[in-house]
Amino acid sequence: MTNIPKKPPPSYLVTIGIPFAILFTLFSFQRVGFNLQDFTENLANRAIVTDPLFNPKWSWAWENTADALVETVQIAILASIVGCAFALPLSFYASRATNLNKYSYFLYKSFLNLVRTIPDLFWAMLFTVAVGIGPFAGVLALIMFSLAIMGKLLSETIDSIDPGPMEAAKATGSSHNQTVFTSALPQVLPNFTAYFLYIFELCIRASVILGLVGAGGVGRIIETQRIFLRFDRISPIIVIILVVVILIEQFSVWIRKRIL
Amino acid sequence: MNIPKQPLSHKILKYTLTSAIIFASLWSAAGLEITIARIIDAPRQIGILVGAMFPLDTSQEAFDRIIPKVFESLFIAWAGTVIGAIFSFPISFLAAHNVAAGAVSRITKQILNAIRAFPELILAFVFLPITGLGAFTGTLALGIHSIGTLGKLSSEVIEGIDEGPLEAIKSSGGSKINELIFGVIPQVMPTITSYWLYRFEINLRASAVLGVIGAGGVGQELINQLRFRDFPRAGTVLICTIVLVLVADAISASIRNRIIKGKVAKS
Repeated sequence: MTNIPKKPPPSYLVTIGIPFAILFTLFSFQRVGFNLQDFTENLANRAIVTDPLFNPKWSWAWENTADALVETVQIAILASIVGCAFALPLSFYASRATNLNKYSYFLYKSFLNLVRTIPDLFWAMLFTVAVGIGPFAGVLALIMFSLAIMGKLLSETIDSIDPGPMEAAKATGSSHNQTVFTSALPQVLPNFTAYFLYIFELCIRASVILGLVGAGGVGRIIETQRIFLRFDRISPIIVIILVVVILIEQFSVWIRKRIL
Repeated sequence: MNIPKQPLSHKILKYTLTSAIIFASLWSAAGLEITIARIIDAPRQIGILVGAMFPLDTSQEAFDRIIPKVFESLFIAWAGTVIGAIFSFPISFLAAHNVAAGAVSRITKQILNAIRAFPELILAFVFLPITGLGAFTGTLALGIHSIGTLGKLSSEVIEGIDEGPLEAIKSSGGSKINELIFGVIPQVMPTITSYWLYRFEINLRASAVLGVIGAGGVGQELINQLRFRDFPRAGTVLICTIVLVLVADAISASIRNRIIKGKVAKS
């Protein structure tokens, strides 16, 4: 007989976690009113939305959405640039590798986490109340949105940089600030650029929904047409946004090849 | 001292990029009619709003309304993630080119791309006439969108596996099914599970938003309070949402860490 080693007993995470997850799932489905019967009975109603959605009115979209689309792109450009510009210094303060003070590190890290917990549309709602309806509120909302994502991605990248160059700079007698500028910053700049392009793309996607709460962009048109159930006018907008996003993706792939 | 000069092409690239960024922001700011006066005034206006939220509305009645809504968002996010996980799991095998035949993989990938193209909010529009206003609509919208995103991520994990164990199974006479069960799944399961949890964190934020169009969750509550200018209660809604997201994120992140890094050896 071969000697098969005994299987180690499963960890508590598995023995307790999996039954708990299943129970929680069942409970969640019950609470959200999961009901397949109603769903199949009313499935025919989807025609209200899907028929016009798959029957796009391109001529209408070309005539009426150009301004709003430009506005969407402008919101995304401004918000991603400003948000990432703010995030760049903040991330260095929110990383253990470059911020030697434990307390200020914790403070900056918590601030970034806090900004990240509030969903983008909530920011938009708050800013429309604070500064009035319009694209300015959308820009502010997306600044918070890009600040949060860039802060998280970049500070984690800084955490894992190669400490060698920093040590070398320190050995030549440079101050902490000089060390960070000459040895940490150049290491993460390519990542910063890549993240920036990714965030720009996310901002374009997000600005589609900003209009729902009056924060400008092409979502404004989607919202007014949705109320009148004119989904035939909405689907061209979705396609155009998709094309824009794909173009940006291609562009960022090209840029990344050049700089990385 | 002899410092090597930066090559000219680098300099040109640097200056073009900088001026392009400055020009793009100025063009955007001008187009959106954002003036310096508005920027300077914004912090004051935001301060007024934040000031109006305090003291928070901590009456029993407020919590009785808000807490169920907050938990509804949690249930929507979890149920949506489970739908996404269950359906995306088999689909991701069909989409991986090292498991499925070339044509099948290409077609499945295109289907997943098509699903991802629709934002959750648009999907919610589609489900509204079928399932009505309420949490179920939001669940389905999140679920369908999650199938697209999780399917893509999972199939990429499957494509990145080590082929060695598969060969070992094949050489000991295992069937194609054996290869999947004993060769592929044990390799990909930890990463895929952590993606599921990660998706749950994203869905939690998205489900909070879906309420704005009436698809259940805490978004409806926030927009109502802001419309009625009941700022103290809006503040309470906001704080409750933040607490829920922070706690759920922390639990999910610690489980993900445990799955990916394994048990930390006791020293």
